[in-house]
Amino acid sequence: MNIVVAMKQIPDLHQIRMRDRQPVLDDVPLTLGNIDKNALEAAVHLRDTHGGKVIALSAGSEELEDTIKEALAAGADEAFMILDDSLDNADSSVIAAVLAATIRKINDVDIILFGEGSGDNYSGQVGSRVAGILGLPQVGYASSMEVQGNSAIVTRSLEDGEEILEVELPVVIAVMADINEPRIPSVSQILKAGRKPQEVLELDDLAIEILEEPVVTESNLAPETPRKQVVVKSVDELIAVLRTEGVIGR
Amino acid sequence: MAGILIYSDKENLALELLTAARIIGQELNLEVKAVTINNDALATALAGAGADVYGVNNDNVIPADVGAVASTLEQAAAKLDTKIVLLASDRRGKELAGRLAQNMGAGCLTDVTDIHINDDRIKCQRNALGGATVATQYITTDKQVIAVRPRTFAAAAGGEGKISLFNIEARPTKIKLLEVKTRSSEVVDIEETEVLVVVGQGLNSEGNLAEVEKLAKALGGEVACSKPVATDKKWLAEERIIGLSGKKCKPELAIILGISGQVQFTVGIRDAKVIVSVNTDENAPINRMADYILPADLHEVIEEMNKALG
Amino acid sequence: MEKFDVIVVGAGLAGLAAAYTLACEGLEVLVLERGDYAGAKNVTGGRLYVNPVREFFPDLWAKAPLERFIANEGFTMMAAERSLSINYYGNELADEPYQSYSVLRAKFDRWLAKQAQRKGAAVVTRSRVDDVIMEAGQVKGVWAAGEELRSDVVIACDGVLSLTAEKAGLRSPGIPENYAVGLKEVIELAPELIEARFGLEGNEGAAHMFMGEVTKGMFGGGFLYTNQASLSLGIVVSIKDMMENEASLGAPVLLDNFKQRPEIARLLKGGETVEYSAHVIPEGGYKALGKLYGDGILVAGDAAGLSMNIGVTVRGMEYALASGYYAARTVMQAKELGDFSVATLKHYELLLKDSFVLKDFASFKETPRVLDNPRFFTTYPEMLGDMMKDIYAVPGGAKNRLYPTIKKYMTLREMWQMAGDVRQVMKI
Ligand SMILES: Cc1cc2nc3c(=O)[nH]c(=O)nc-3n(C[C@H](O)[C@H](O)[C@H](O)COP(=O)(O)OP(=O)(O)OC[C@H]3O[C@@H](n4cnc5c(N)ncnc54)[C@H](O)[C@@H]3O)c2cc1C
Ligand SMILES: Cc1cc2nc3c(=O)[nH]c(=O)nc-3n(C[C@H](O)[C@H](O)[C@H](O)COP(=O)(O)OP(=O)(O)OC[C@H]3O[C@@H](n4cnc5c(N)ncnc54)[C@H](O)[C@@H]3O)c2cc1C
Ligand SMILES: Nc1ncnc2c1ncn2[C@@H]1O[C@H](COP(=O)(O)O)[C@@H](O)[C@H]1O
Repeated sequence: MNIVVAMKQIPDLHQIRMRDRQPVLDDVPLTLGNIDKNALEAAVHLRDTHGGKVIALSAGSEELEDTIKEALAAGADEAFMILDDSLDNADSSVIAAVLAATIRKINDVDIILFGEGSGDNYSGQVGSRVAGILGLPQVGYASSMEVQGNSAIVTRSLEDGEEILEVELPVVIAVMADINEPRIPSVSQILKAGRKPQEVLELDDLAIEILEEPVVTESNLAPETPRKQVVVKSVDELIAVLRTEGVIGR
Repeated sequence: MAGILIYSDKENLALELLTAARIIGQELNLEVKAVTINNDALATALAGAGADVYGVNNDNVIPADVGAVASTLEQAAAKLDTKIVLLASDRRGKELAGRLAQNMGAGCLTDVTDIHINDDRIKCQRNALGGATVATQYITTDKQVIAVRPRTFAAAAGGEGKISLFNIEARPTKIKLLEVKTRSSEVVDIEETEVLVVVGQGLNSEGNLAEVEKLAKALGGEVACSKPVATDKKWLAEERIIGLSGKKCKPELAIILGISGQVQFTVGIRDAKVIVSVNTDENAPINRMADYILPADLHEVIEEMNKALG
Repeated sequence: MEKFDVIVVGAGLAGLAAAYTLACEGLEVLVLERGDYAGAKNVTGGRLYVNPVREFFPDLWAKAPLERFIANEGFTMMAAERSLSINYYGNELADEPYQSYSVLRAKFDRWLAKQAQRKGAAVVTRSRVDDVIMEAGQVKGVWAAGEELRSDVVIACDGVLSLTAEKAGLRSPGIPENYAVGLKEVIELAPELIEARFGLEGNEGAAHMFMGEVTKGMFGGGFLYTNQASLSLGIVVSIKDMMENEASLGAPVLLDNFKQRPEIARLLKGGETVEYSAHVIPEGGYKALGKLYGDGILVAGDAAGLSMNIGVTVRGMEYALASGYYAARTVMQAKELGDFSVATLKHYELLLKDSFVLKDFASFKETPRVLDNPRFFTTYPEMLGDMMKDIYAVPGGAKNRLYPTIKKYMTLREMWQMAGDVRQVMKI
């Protein structure tokens, strides 16, 4: 069974600072999206039970060649990368077109896994768009999954309940963070990662039509919330200030 | 006249979309229409709020099959000369948005928290960079799909719309619904409470929750939590999660106990009027967005507060 | 199981210098670093003297992410309410190749790690070494997160509290009294403001040391370096002095007070603190140097005690780079001989003794003790400040002659003492 896992390269969100309310992204180390790591873990688990191959798939800037090693260390067998500096900030429709075209080049794909949302954009579009392009059934917000014969049994977790679904393969599944706990790769797995097969494609290798800047970002600012940041020494003092604020004891 | 189409399978959310659609429709001179799928009650409710409803009845289309729902809406959008589709950004709506946009060749924005019209463009606000920033974005393509976060707009009410039946093509679904489990959804609405006592992983054990609840009650509020408290530890229901994948709350007072303050959490509470942080770590990032900081063990603080307020 | 020629513990300057040198020669090197990335946790005031290590890495400097070359040296004696500063400009500071640069380790170390990787070294981050593999008294590798990793030789470059050297029996766990603590902030400021406030042009930078009230008279001092678009500001203070001084405010408060001094606050105005870090520093000097080698192991950089705390300033980066380099050369020789016992590894100490590293340590042998003289940190700054007040104050009426002014603040005995202290300082 071949499982493709779409993983996005994002700036390490803990390292981003704000300057004049603008995010400063220079020199911020890159990593793979958190929930994408859950998707990878789910894929590795399926492979370990059913055999086959886990293929990490990612579209991003040149640095991806380094970043993708995280996936290869954490259990992916090989990686497909589409490298172009425009891709780190490309619209979901562009990414979906690129990923779908690449998936078509990979033989016998049974399951295509996504994260519920990418670590930075978290818009949850790319998986659904890829399913649309490839005309495949999809299940989002998966909190568990297993494979039985030629179908997947997936639990989709919604705000007010769960539905358990049986879907014929091939299928697109987007997982939630609580589906598993991603493993931390050992040193020797990290070392082996560099030697696993990696296929690099460029945009020109893919015959795709893309929308011209479908979404424009006018501004992107840290919200302004001036806070008092007063340190209080005791519960009594706290209660007193909250009374003065008129937020308790009304 | 070109139109704006709304769809959600949930009544309260569909009514909120109706309000949003009317605002946009008025500014951009677009006719507002609603679609329902296999749901007469919803069609009646929407018509009762003044919407022109197009009801689809086709057994091949089930909500669990996002591809089928997207295809239904795509066909409706084409026949009804639709420029803009508004969806709710709950899980169902968000999953649907990407697929529908792909089918329609549309640009798409999800998790939209505010909309205003400017230069004939629909300017949408949404969280970016995991919640660290708020982006203002607009779609430039001819067709647009926008998914709006629940509670961004008030529900529409009053009016009299008509219901028409509507046919679409649908192939039998490949998705088999084996079982539905509804969550015994506690009736708690942390988005509506004025005081929130929010606990995080600093809480020692599930047993300590009783004291937390006592405090919330004393303050006339509700208990909420960071994500791991509900999803990893399962000490509280997921309805109580605050943050990017939980709820966005604007209480008068939020007392935050033992939460480190990652952006994915703070995005859900930063609009609170007064924020108190109790944390053993003086340098916890949450303290930077607090009005009052009490560097202390939360368990002791809760006990003392309960004593003082009790 | 993987086996490497060399395992380097710690991706600081010592570790990366060793790894880079070894990888250039084609050896299989694994660097293990516990931080999220190289440089993530590495604290430095910020001045690197390039001259002593320039020729070790001839290809590196042209593209190294150095911040500003130091063209202006400042020194300030701080009293409670006044201070006296000396500024030094010299042609030799402004001539290429420049003598020293300000650096930001988060940037520099990451870059150096990349260079080592390009040459073939494997650098694995988020990986902490917990123990060494010891067989028949010889180090054969390390344990990291329960994993056994083997090599012919280990180079311990894990910084000041080196666990690796300790586990290999080369040093005993330190006691806090033997250390100083360093606190540092990086404060972001527009380049134009930096240049205007420090009187700099283009890529010129300033280095400034502070002594006296900064540490409330305790052994230590303050520093301020200009980077490209930020300032590195911090203090170093002896833990022993802080423990003995009951009125001690604790280092964070000292740093805050330092920042609030009017003469400092104006330099920082409008800047934003983007990084705050704390680190311990060996008080050491020559006598505190640890054992530099054992069977199958070499120790380099701070791990070996190779940094010098002379109160107001700390030097360690060039010693880390150089000792890493010499450790690598020693390993190459050992590999040729196929012998990784002390018999060949002891050569490392000879290389260091022949180089500026241990020569510096020998000639600065007395430094810590000389400066461990409270007069430097209390009496002199106050006295100078008071003297200056009288010299510069213009009271109504006739101004006093200078000598009586000085005499007013100093008895002859004190003058004699000061002369003695000055002679000691000249040895630095
Ligand atoms: C895509 C994505 C979406 C996410 N969405 C959400 C979301 O919606 N909501 C959410 O909350 N998280 C979300 N997260 C997770 C988020 O990043 C953090 O991991 C989470 O918020 C951390 O929860 P915490 O602060 O309770 O726990 P921790 O980070 O473990 O912090 C515990 C805090 O408690 C303090 N503490 C410990 N003991 C005590 C004591 N005795 N007294 C007082 N203080 C104490 C500690 O100092 C620490 O600051 C999301 C993550 C991702 C990647
Ligand atoms: C406040 C301050 C100011 C200073 N100012 C200057 C200055 O201006 N000029 C100057 O030349 N020097 C200065 N120094 C000294 C200088 O920073 C050090 O001497 C130098 O960093 C030593 O380099 P190193 O490679 O030996 O150790 P470090 O740079 O400390 O690197 C050690 C590395 O090992 C890693 N590590 C530790 N334990 C483990 C483990 N168990 N497993 C894996 N990895 C581990 C650490 O994460 C770290 O990356 C200053 C120091 C301080 C604290
Ligand atoms: N550039 C990318 N390369 C590979 N996968 C991606 C990329 N962007 C998004 N994805 C995948 O699509 C999911 C949803 O992303 P988003 O629509 O941005 O929230 C992510 O969790 C990833 O699995």
